Amino acid sequence: MTANLIGDVTMRYVDLPPQASDGSVPVLLLHGFGTSFDMNWRAAGWPRVLEAAGRRVIGPDLRGHGGSDKPTESGLYLPEHFVDDLLRLLDALDVEVVDVVGYSMGSRLAWSLALTAPARVRRMVLAGFGPTDALAGLGETAPGTGDTPFDHVFRTVAALPGNDPEALAACAHGQAADPFVPVPRPEGVPMLLVAGAEDTVAAGASDLAAACGAGFVEIPGRHHANAVSARAFKEAVVDFLG
Amino acid sequence: MAEENITFTLPDLGEGLVEATVLEWQVAVGDVIGRNDPLVEVETTKSAVVIPSPQAGRVVELHAEEERVVPVGDPLVTFAVEVAEAPQAGIVGRVPTEEAAPRRRVRLKPPAE
Amino acid sequence: MTELIERTAAPAVGDETVELSMQQAINRALRVLLAEDPDVVVFGEDVGALGGVFRVTDGLQKEFGDRRVFDTPLAESAIMGMAVGLAMNGLRPVPELQFDGFAYPAIDQIVNQVARMNYRTRGAAPMPITLRLPSFGGIQAPEHHGESLETLFAHTPGLKVVAPSDPGEAYSLLLQSVRSDDPVVYMEPKARYWERRPVRLSEPTDPIGTCRTVRPGRHATLVAWGAMVHKCLQVAELAAEDGVDLEVIDLRWLTPIDAAGLAASVARTKRAVVVHEAPLTAGLGAEVATLITENCFRDLAAPVQRVTGFDVPYPAGPLEPQYLPTIDRVLLAVQRTLEY
Repeated sequence: MTANLIGDVTMRYVDLPPQASDGSVPVLLLHGFGTSFDMNWRAAGWPRVLEAAGRRVIGPDLRGHGGSDKPTESGLYLPEHFVDDLLRLLDALDVEVVDVVGYSMGSRLAWSLALTAPARVRRMVLAGFGPTDALAGLGETAPGTGDTPFDHVFRTVAALPGNDPEALAACAHGQAADPFVPVPRPEGVPMLLVAGAEDTVAAGASDLAAACGAGFVEIPGRHHANAVSARAFKEAVVDFLG
Repeated sequence: MAEENITFTLPDLGEGLVEATVLEWQVAVGDVIGRNDPLVEVETTKSAVVIPSPQAGRVVELHAEEERVVPVGDPLVTFAVEVAEAPQAGIVGRVPTEEAAPRRRVRLKPPAE
Repeated sequence: MTELIERTAAPAVGDETVELSMQQAINRALRVLLAEDPDVVVFGEDVGALGGVFRVTDGLQKEFGDRRVFDTPLAESAIMGMAVGLAMNGLRPVPELQFDGFAYPAIDQIVNQVARMNYRTRGAAPMPITLRLPSFGGIQAPEHHGESLETLFAHTPGLKVVAPSDPGEAYSLLLQSVRSDDPVVYMEPKARYWERRPVRLSEPTDPIGTCRTVRPGRHATLVAWGAMVHKCLQVAELAAEDGVDLEVIDLRWLTPIDAAGLAASVARTKRAVVVHEAPLTAGLGAEVATLITENCFRDLAAPVQRVTGFDVPYPAGPLEPQYLPTIDRVLLAVQRTLEY
């Protein structure tokens, strides 16, 4: 089903039951910057794979994205706001523990979620994500005007139907205000990193995995935009989540 | 039952996209697959998607190699599907069956001539 | 795919007699019409590549091309609006509305444009349109797939309305309808699509607007059209076992109605029962009864009886047998006229 979690910033999400539940914890899928659950995960064939593996899928549209509200103040896009949204969603669904799979910005938020509430994250996959903060050096400049990997991503997603470039710029600035740091690592949460071999946004993912004692899977021949749908990625995740 | 080949072309993926790159086939020639099973992973300029199969059947030909760019409307895959020998395509309702002998309860009294 | 419609080398009207279902007979007539007149165009939902949900237009697109036989969007109002425009530009459109219940969205085009255009333009823009409308019940289809709309069209001046009862009638009445320069609503009885009968593939001889005697008899006249003709023939066979000799008239043209033909029959039999699937109140049976009464008042031995559907919305498939006139209901009506 698709529903809205009403709040100051209303969040659209889907909650998909598995084909046959084996009692495992639900999987929370966190999409990347400028996309949505549908675009990042559903179109890439993820719900079907996870449902077949007996997993309930919970997929929010993060604030500023998809069918959720899109405020245009950067102060409403700090990682802690996203983490609050996610915890509120899990509470509303009466879900105590989840496995989290993030892609790109979704991985960064998964990390923050696990740091804030380690007891609610059983296992975690960070995909399309590395230790280099993609937003580093953004400062006050308008995203999409330069030539960094993130500028390229921004230009592509800002043009997608349904996206609000102003809200996305606010989101970028909000997250840049609280840069990712790889320490401390979320304690007690087994972690897997996945990245396309050609993914420049996720450069250094294997180093981060090594530093965190996490597993690492590289998808040959894939870059940041086309690694999401890869079968190797799905198999690695189903395998890791068990 | 007879078999018939049905070719599926690259569908319009929306947003004015005119082509897509085949990333990875999720099926192989000879596979028997169901409707909506994952068919092929393609990448457009916007995103990578997995196209579900529009058809149940046996895969008899894959028309595009991986990493090839396919224009919208070009053949992607050919299925062999089973078809009924005498198709009653699209019939809504049922073909009425004629009773051999029409039944009745009412008997008539002929008029006095 | 197996072709349901066997091909013949020459579609032209001849004197050949072949066994055809009503689907095939209509298909054959359409082939004749498409071949003889380059202005004839056939269109509707799924009539092209698929060949129609009842296979009536099977193979026509392949034979005559997709400029003469083509699919339309699911938009009945647009189908009939297109027919008006094509007719105004000199073509002879033969649109199909897939099921009679789907005619309602097109009523504005049919009533306000098709039926009036010839009058509105003082004859400058005739509407030689034949609307093919799979009609009536008997196949236990879902809601909106079985209706009896003949009164609606018969009460719209400017339209001719015809309902064939068997394959041979379907063949010749379609030739006449399409060749007519007036708009015709051609109501195909879905329940009779499949039964095969010998069909003489010859030119129609009876004029438009005449009824026909399907079975001669002495004691009473049964009047029906479409699928009810078959029902009345069954009744007549059973009545004969009881020594009652029933005449069966296939009205076929519902406008114009053959009042003289009805009167000629009832003047002899002195009793009449009219049978239709549509509801009783303000149904076409009332018109038939009135015409008979006006013309045969002194001959009648009993009031004209009506056996019809009930005054309820046309029911969903499973209830059809309870709604449609049954053999027993017709027999009881005959008994009432005999005992009056």
